[in-house]
Amino acid sequence: MLKRPHLLWLLAPYVLFLGTLPLADRVRPTVMGLPFLFFWLLAATLLTPAAVFLAWRGDRKRGRV
Amino acid sequence: MNGNAAVATTVFGVFMVLTVALGLLAVRGRGRTTGIAEWSVGGRSLGTVFIWVLMAGEGYTSFSYLGAAGWGYNHGAPVLYVIAYMSCGYAIGYVVGPTLWSYARRHGLVTITDMVAHRYGRPWLGTAVAILATVCLLPYIQLQITGMGVVVSTISYGAISLNWAYFIAFAVTTGFVVVSGLRGSAWVSVLKDVLVIATLGFLAIYVPNHYFDGYGPFLDRLVAEKPAWLTLSGHGGSGLDATWFATTSFLNSLTVVIFPTTVAGYLGARNADALRRNAMLLPFYNVLLFVPMLLGMAALFVVPGLTGAGSNLAMFKLVVDSLPAWAVGVIGVAAALSSIVPMAVFMLVIGTMWGKSVLGTVPALAGRPRRQRLAAQVVVVVAGGLALVLTYLTPNTLVRLSLISYEGMAQLVPMVLLGLMWRRLTLWGAVSGLVAGGALVCALVFTEHDPLWGVNAGALALGVNLVVALVVSWLGPRPVDDRPDEEVLATDPRPADTRAEESVPA
Repeated sequence: MLKRPHLLWLLAPYVLFLGTLPLADRVRPTVMGLPFLFFWLLAATLLTPAAVFLAWRGDRKRGRV
Repeated sequence: MNGNAAVATTVFGVFMVLTVALGLLAVRGRGRTTGIAEWSVGGRSLGTVFIWVLMAGEGYTSFSYLGAAGWGYNHGAPVLYVIAYMSCGYAIGYVVGPTLWSYARRHGLVTITDMVAHRYGRPWLGTAVAILATVCLLPYIQLQITGMGVVVSTISYGAISLNWAYFIAFAVTTGFVVVSGLRGSAWVSVLKDVLVIATLGFLAIYVPNHYFDGYGPFLDRLVAEKPAWLTLSGHGGSGLDATWFATTSFLNSLTVVIFPTTVAGYLGARNADALRRNAMLLPFYNVLLFVPMLLGMAALFVVPGLTGAGSNLAMFKLVVDSLPAWAVGVIGVAAALSSIVPMAVFMLVIGTMWGKSVLGTVPALAGRPRRQRLAAQVVVVVAGGLALVLTYLTPNTLVRLSLISYEGMAQLVPMVLLGLMWRRLTLWGAVSGLVAGGALVCALVFTEHDPLWGVNAGALALGVNLVVALVVSWLGPRPVDDRPDEEVLATDPRPADTRAEESVPA
């Protein structure tokens, strides 16, 4: 793990979905009509592939993939 | 049978025939010649696309159509934990998938029970875990059978009775999985994914427009009239608060990466990179899960007053109410395939575990892949038949068991994940942890203390499991094992290893 610090990106979904819950668990403000919690979790769902991509890019730069 | 029923039933029937045909076509020219590895893990030859459809297919079950909409209808926001744990699980699958894949490939293993037996050097441990996992998986087969039964009966406007629908679910699935194995499941998954994406995409646009003049008014009404559904712990005093949400999602995200059916998907991959690419692509599929959840809440306005099992049909009530018969038929097919594909993989995994880890220890079968495969196929029919019979006779037995399935399976995490990465976890440490964690899950769930103080009972049990495993490993007996670390432990493969391994026959 110490040799591949970029793998920490894989923990980003845990932060987005679970770590931020106390702040995100609310109806307002609504974003594009969506209640805030739903908006936040939808955003987290779309950001998860990006986080995994960053881990993958880190591996590729170091010639691992 | 009236006109609508005839149209919808015909559409359904045509697609069921197509499903079996696809499953059989998948193994044309491959079926007869090979042993258990071809059947169980597709000869380890599936590329990125097939792995994607297969694993998405496993994750997106009839629960997504029925349970997700039903939870959305009854409670609202807590159901989003499904999306949270699947996203987190797919992300850590980036490391776990290639690790398990290369371990299995190097040592010629085909299931999770095989890996455990190899890691701890004890065939009986593989047998024990196989039996435990079967007990946890059987309820899922029954849930898929009943889920499909409800859908088929509804979309045929009652023309196909529940009992017949159960039987069709069993017959279609067993029919193709026995013959074609994992490869056939991947092919059928393609058909399934096309239909699921198309039908849910359509419903996501159509339903709000049909009933509410678009998303704006629908969401405004939801926010104004049903705010209790829009935050944790949801509507109806469910006790499913943020602590429950976080602990459950965390626990399930660890469990899903070692779930025997997920591992079957991993092991089917052609190379480690197909799995890494999938860890990036799979989370996109979760966006689709928002649709049944939102539509379940839309049903609050259109068909209020559904209770009990009826709320599971929240979304289908809207579909039958607002669409022509042929469209109802197509959506029903998508939902039915969402039962069939996971059920096929569940049966396949049970068959493989028994063929390799239980019956494979019988001398007549040991070291004979072809006979193991035949034994595995027999087990598939028996397991499926058992689930079907239990569905008819005592529908509640397995439902009760299913309460502990996921949390019980979670107790394998230290034995498998920690064990494969850390040599000092001993056999007795892993076994004691598993027993302690499993006993605690059973105790808490069956005395209805789940969640306890808001925390998922399985997560509490996993903590106990881990502590017991570590303490017993430190203080308990150390079985003698002379094998070098490379033989026992698993590592995330480097590209050089991957290329070298590709020349090794599966």
